[in-house]
Amino acid sequence: MLLAAPLALLALFFVAPLLWVLGQSFAVPAGPLDTYMRIAGDGALRYSLIYTFQTAAIVTVAALVLSYPVAFLISRAQGRWLMIGMVFVLVPFWTSAVIRSYAWLVLLQRRGVVNEMLLALGLIDRPLRLANTDVGTHVAMVQIMLPFMILPLLSAMRGIDLSVLRAAAILGANPWRQFVNVYLPLSMPGVGAGCVLVFISTLGFYITPALLGGSSPMIAVAIEQQVSRLLDWPLASALAAVLLVLTCALFMLYERLNRRLAGAGEAR
Amino acid sequence: MNRTAATPFWRIASAGLVLFAVLVLVYLVLPTLVIVPLSFSSDTFLKFPPSGFSTRWYESFAASADYHFAILNSLKIGVPAALVATVFGVMAALAVVRGAMPFRRTLAALVIAPLILPQIVLAIGLFPLMAKVGLVGTYPGIVLAHAVVTMPLVFITVSAALRNYAPTFELAAMTLGAGPWRTFLYVTFPMIRPGVIVGFIFALTFSFDELILAMFLTSPTTRTVPRLLWEQLNFQMTPVIAAATVVMLGATIALLCLAALTGARARRRLAGETKGAGA
Repeated sequence: MLLAAPLALLALFFVAPLLWVLGQSFAVPAGPLDTYMRIAGDGALRYSLIYTFQTAAIVTVAALVLSYPVAFLISRAQGRWLMIGMVFVLVPFWTSAVIRSYAWLVLLQRRGVVNEMLLALGLIDRPLRLANTDVGTHVAMVQIMLPFMILPLLSAMRGIDLSVLRAAAILGANPWRQFVNVYLPLSMPGVGAGCVLVFISTLGFYITPALLGGSSPMIAVAIEQQVSRLLDWPLASALAAVLLVLTCALFMLYERLNRRLAGAGEAR
Repeated sequence: MNRTAATPFWRIASAGLVLFAVLVLVYLVLPTLVIVPLSFSSDTFLKFPPSGFSTRWYESFAASADYHFAILNSLKIGVPAALVATVFGVMAALAVVRGAMPFRRTLAALVIAPLILPQIVLAIGLFPLMAKVGLVGTYPGIVLAHAVVTMPLVFITVSAALRNYAPTFELAAMTLGAGPWRTFLYVTFPMIRPGVIVGFIFALTFSFDELILAMFLTSPTTRTVPRLLWEQLNFQMTPVIAAATVVMLGATIALLCLAALTGARARRRLAGETKGAGA
């Protein structure tokens, strides 16, 4: 059986560790739900969960607003412009998140590029605090997530038959109405897939928030801190289990949207 | 948006749209490129604009034993991990795309899941399990972990390659008496080779960049480049890191160009063949 070997690898090094995480989160002497009660009772952890959700929502919306026009133009470009557009999207996509977060730190720190330029232009008198703030971290996270939004949008937009827009124009719709009533609905599967992908990835984001910081640690950072500083494996496992369940639910949603995207492509 | 909308208002609107998109693209690539001039700085601290040009940070990068070992480790981990991921990913793709089995979609979702799941969750589960069997800090431990998370990349590219042509080629070979292995070797593999190579390169790139699993599963003697960079980032900010980063960036871009070339050549070959068949 061809599937036996890959499934064995997945079972041993993917499914088993995840089950172990779930098991650890319940296996405490004080009772199976004790760690979850501790999370619920700890203000800082509770806030970390809420903060992670807020951040994921902000990053997703910002990435969608910035990506949509870019994906639209790339989807209609041809030849050299198409290639240039794809290079601009794919090179950052494949550049290590460590490198890109480091670049943002260089840009945003106290004596960083942005502050030095603003000082040189005389726009500010003293360096602004940009790193270790929510705004700075969000700006960096959005940049890292953009390709995850642009690529699904592109795949949906390239499947849209442009003659429907011409039909709408002939029927008297101005460009705005063509967009809102025709193009936007047709691109919705891509919007959905991109949003779920960015939301999931931001929920589990570690590198950028760990390096740049913000008003609270994200869940992934909190998990790492529980393990490496406090050696509290049950609590870390419970936090990881929360992240796991959320991700699984969203992944199923993503699969469903993707299937619809593929279905629409085949029907054409 | 189209010809009927050539009134001045809509022209300005579409120019604005293009401008907006260009600004977003600049935001997408510029931050990373800022490191390049900084890496050639002659200053001891990261300062912009740099006060002078020098290659001293590249020299100290080249002389650093830490980076030597980390680069070697990244290769010793990335290449075997990408190989395992490629072999298993091809097998999974063949089974899911060509096989007639129940729950195909669920199986495909299971194979892709390691790519989507936050690595911190997997790391929290893998560390204690691998610690029990003594795999933490060893090469096989991190190689297997990276193989699991990069297998989806091979699975995706190879599945796409398999869906690109009809299964009748394989049926023809089998009808002519070729066994499954010979059919794979002489029919299937030549058809999907570009997908396999691109998948391998993606897996390699991913392993070279992966931080979180490496943080948990490698030791100071098996640590990879991202882990070394991360450790250095947390206590110093000299331009050596910028130089190392630029070198890594160059390696990533080179690998991607290789993947793009492989893909483009395959498309040309495919186009040539269909044209030949039509003539």
